[in-house]
Parts: sequence; C-alpha cells; structure tokens
Amino acid sequence: MGDIVVLVKPALNPDMVRAKPDGAVDLDAIPLKLDDIDANALFEAQKLKKTLGGKIAALLILTWGPVARRQKDLRMVAQEALARGADEAHIVADDEIIPGDPVTTASAVVATIKKAGLNPDLILVAEASIDQTTGQVAGRVAAKLGYPYISFARKLEVSDGKVIAERDLEEHIEVVEAPLPAVVSVTQEINEPRPPTLIQIRRAGKKPQNYYKISDLGDVKKPVKEILEQRILTVARKQIIIEGDTLEEIAEKLIEALEKEGVLKI
Amino acid sequence: MAGALIVGSSIQEIREALGAVSSLEGEKVVLAYGKAAENEALSKLGVKVYKLNSSHPDHIVKAVEQLFEKFKPSIIIGWITKNNRAALSYFAGLHDIPMATDVTELGIEGDHVVYKRGFLSERAIAREKIPTPAVVLINQKVFAPVEAEASAQVEEIHVEEEKVVLKEVKPKMLSGINLEDAEIIVGVGRGFKKKEDLQLAFKLAELLGAQVGASRPIAADYKWLPEDAWIGISGKRVAPKLYIAIGISGAPQHMAGVMNSKIIVAINKDKSAPIFKQADYGVVADLYQFLPVLIKKLEERKKK
Repeated sequence: MGDIVVLVKPALNPDMVRAKPDGAVDLDAIPLKLDDIDANALFEAQKLKKTLGGKIAALLILTWGPVARRQKDLRMVAQEALARGADEAHIVADDEIIPGDPVTTASAVVATIKKAGLNPDLILVAEASIDQTTGQVAGRVAAKLGYPYISFARKLEVSDGKVIAERDLEEHIEVVEAPLPAVVSVTQEINEPRPPTLIQIRRAGKKPQNYYKISDLGDVKKPVKEILEQRILTVARKQIIIEGDTLEEIAEKLIEALEKEGVLKI
Repeated sequence: MAGALIVGSSIQEIREALGAVSSLEGEKVVLAYGKAAENEALSKLGVKVYKLNSSHPDHIVKAVEQLFEKFKPSIIIGWITKNNRAALSYFAGLHDIPMATDVTELGIEGDHVVYKRGFLSERAIAREKIPTPAVVLINQKVFAPVEAEASAQVEEIHVEEEKVVLKEVKPKMLSGINLEDAEIIVGVGRGFKKKEDLQLAFKLAELLGAQVGASRPIAADYKWLPEDAWIGISGKRVAPKLYIAIGISGAPQHMAGVMNSKIIVAINKDKSAPIFKQADYGVVADLYQFLPVLIKKLEERKKK
C-alpha cells in the first residue's frame, strides 16, 4: 500500500501584489498562500485515499524567501494542507535554493520523497501555480523518478494498480491509462474542493510537520535561473463608478462615456 | 553547442518559433508532430524537418531525445501548448536543464538566453536569464513568423513505447468563435443565475456587434457556454477594444485574460467586488435590472 504525495506550493498571492516606489515588485512584502489548484489536488487525494489506502503526504518546497521572514506563512500553508486532508507535511526551507527555480524544486521534491521514506503510488501536482505558472515541476519529477506522467487531468480514477485519467487538451479530451506509481497534474475542473471543517482544522494542529534543510537532503540542484528584473505591470484603469438617480440615467451616462472613448460601434 | 530544435504541432507555430530564434547562429532543425506532420508546407520551411505522426507526449519526448543527441541544439523551442508543456518539461527533467515558459521576448547572450515573461497572474513582468541548453516555450502570436519559403528535406521519425496508454479521444464542445480577434467582448460570470438568462448578454452583444465570452464557472464548470468561450489564464487571453464584464467578480485568473483590453466596463451588484478596481467604468447594479435598461437605451440610439 503506497502513499499519495501532493505537491503544495506556498505561492505569492497575486491579489496582494506590492510594488516598490520605482515600480519593481516588492517580493518580500507579498504574503504566501496555499496555491489555488493545490486545494483541488488535496481534495482529489482524499477521494483516492479511499481506494488506495496509505497516507497523504504534502510536500512543500519554499521558493520565495528569505526563510526567516516566511516562517509564519509557511507554517500556515502547511497547516492548511493538513486541514485539507494531508496526514503529514514535509517542508524544505533553505535560503540556498531561494529564489527557487523548477530544476531546483523538482530535485528537492525527489530528494525529500527519499529522505522522508515515502513510497508513492501517486504524486499529484497542480497543472500550474498562480504566481509563476510554469507548469513544469510535475513533468520534471516524473522524468527524474522514471514514472509515467499524465498531465492536465480533469478526471481521475484508480483501480487494480492503474490510474485512468481524462487529459483536458485544447481541442479534445484524451482518456489515458498508466500503471502506478505515476505523476498526475490536475486542473481546477477536477473537483470542487470543500473548505476544511472546524474539526479538520483542529486536528491539523496535531499532525506532523517535518522541516528539512538542503544539508539534510543531499543531492539538490542549485538554482541556475538569474532574475534580472521584476516589474509591476500597471495598466492604470480609470475606476470611475457611474452613478445616477435612475438606471436609465446610468445607462445613458455609460453609453456616452463609451462613445467618447471611441469604443462603441453603434 | 549551437542552433535550435523547433518543436511544434502547427506550421504557424513552427514559423513563429523560427522567427524567435532568427538571430541565433547554428543549424535549425524542426520536429513537426501531430497535425503539423501531415502538412505539405513542411517541405517549404527551408530547414531540415523531422515529422512525427503522433502527439503523445511520451513519443514527443523520445523524438526530442533523439534529435537533441544528434544535433546538440542550444535552444529547444515551441509554443506554450499543453502537449509541449507536458513533453518538454519531462525532457527538461531528464537532463536537469532550465525551461522558460510563456515567453514574450527572447534574446541570446553568448551561452545564455535572456527573456521576458509575465508572472503573478500576469500582474508583473520578469526578465530572467538561464544558461543553455534550455527549453523555451513562447506565447502564441507574439513573435514575427519567418514567412520565407525554401525547399527542405523532410524525414519521418519513428518512436515506439509509451508509459501512458491512450485509450480514447473524445471531442469537446467548441463554438469556433475566435475571441482573440473580437473588437468588443461581453463577458458573463456567476452573477447569471441560470443558462437561459445569458440571453440578456447575447442580446447586448448583438446590439454592440460583440462576441460573448465567459469566466471559468460558466464555461468550464456549468458548461453553459462552449469551452472556447472561457477567458482567463487557463482559457483564452483576449485584447478587445471594449470588454464588458457582467456578473464577474474579478478573480486574478480571469483578469489575467483580459488585461490587454483597451477599456473595461464592470457591471456587478456587489460594490466591493474586486473587478471595480480593475475597470475603467463601473456600474453597481443588479444585472437583471440594469441590462434590460441598457439594451433599451442602445436600441433607441440605434433607431436614431
């Protein structure tokens, strides 16, 4: 009986983007949160656990630092993953691999699976993160472990040592099958995750959170990506709320405004 | 190491990728897979072409492996399509080489590539540098395609074995509407309570000469509209002159898809909806009351 490993990203929250006075992204001021589609991956893991048995292990690799500043956010994300069904959390936080890149993250994931003694049947990964949206860690982990890789799954079933999935592609759906263990990337359409219950949240506090440094893990690739510049894209919007005593008045004002902008064809 | 391996499933994609690496020295080789493998224009690309009659990511990986060994390209490049993302992330993982995705600008600096890409759900842009060999996946319709035609050798490439078995291909319900080219788009969101109510949006769109697009729940979850009407980071990215968001709250995943619109109008009954901060004009009203009035006013204007 194997484990279900879910990759959980402490991601920069795009709703709380902060800029420095010169327009550069103020990375350190943007809080981290549990990445959106990771909630779907965790919810799917809970469902599959009923068939597969084993435990659900959440793996967190911190890619945004500095570690000292991120402790609280990191613990909160781990806590949420545990409340959303993970039985244990394994967390890699080390300034040596920050800011991380997918090469580093994938090698840290593989090293942590070994170090923590996990025996995955399935590794579930969100199709992409909300902050970087590179969508490449799942494929890299599969390649490094030699596992089959099923991407963009919006439906997933497990039976008789096999995983059957629907891959959601641009123009069609593919039904595919692979033997376990496998890596599967999931889309947001795979399920509608329920928020954790109070009991789940309370229990999460008692579940183990294991922290690792790179020196605990051995062979982890160092980041090769160099960040030259990160700028906020300011598409300044006018943010004019059109007001009026009646809806008729508002509609007329809106039509007038749009005509002035030259964007109406009427 | 020099040159590039272009990996693509359409002729347009291959031409744009060739354009993106036009300043790069060394031989360029094309791997055309899936639909592109059947295209006769392959023999006019002016560079050596290998065609693969499959779009299975496992097969693409194997073919890329063969060509990577043979030509030792410094850049492996294609569009940011789902099968490219799947296959080339796996390939990159086999060699632990870097991979840049969603690239909108690309430069070669010796044995490094420097590129720009959007991040933070397209609210910021990053300029980054990675060593070659590297995989680079570019955004569609950003790089000027190489249009020149010259005859070229086309060879078939055979790969076998896959870890993932394809059992069945199912069609998707698609409208065929090209939202990317629309000048005006009416976007519908969860503020609409049932499918029939979308008629209000269609009526408005008809008057404005607009197309109708949707946020994720409407297109992907409830399936009230075909999936190609879905606007957002996982759906389509559009750039109309006018985008009218109706009953859409303004989640970052959706807004990333419309940020290049010239003017954004938001109609939402919740005055604290985040969309009002990202719109040029906002109307705080119940769409069920406001749309009939707006439609009536537009009809009157049309008659004049």
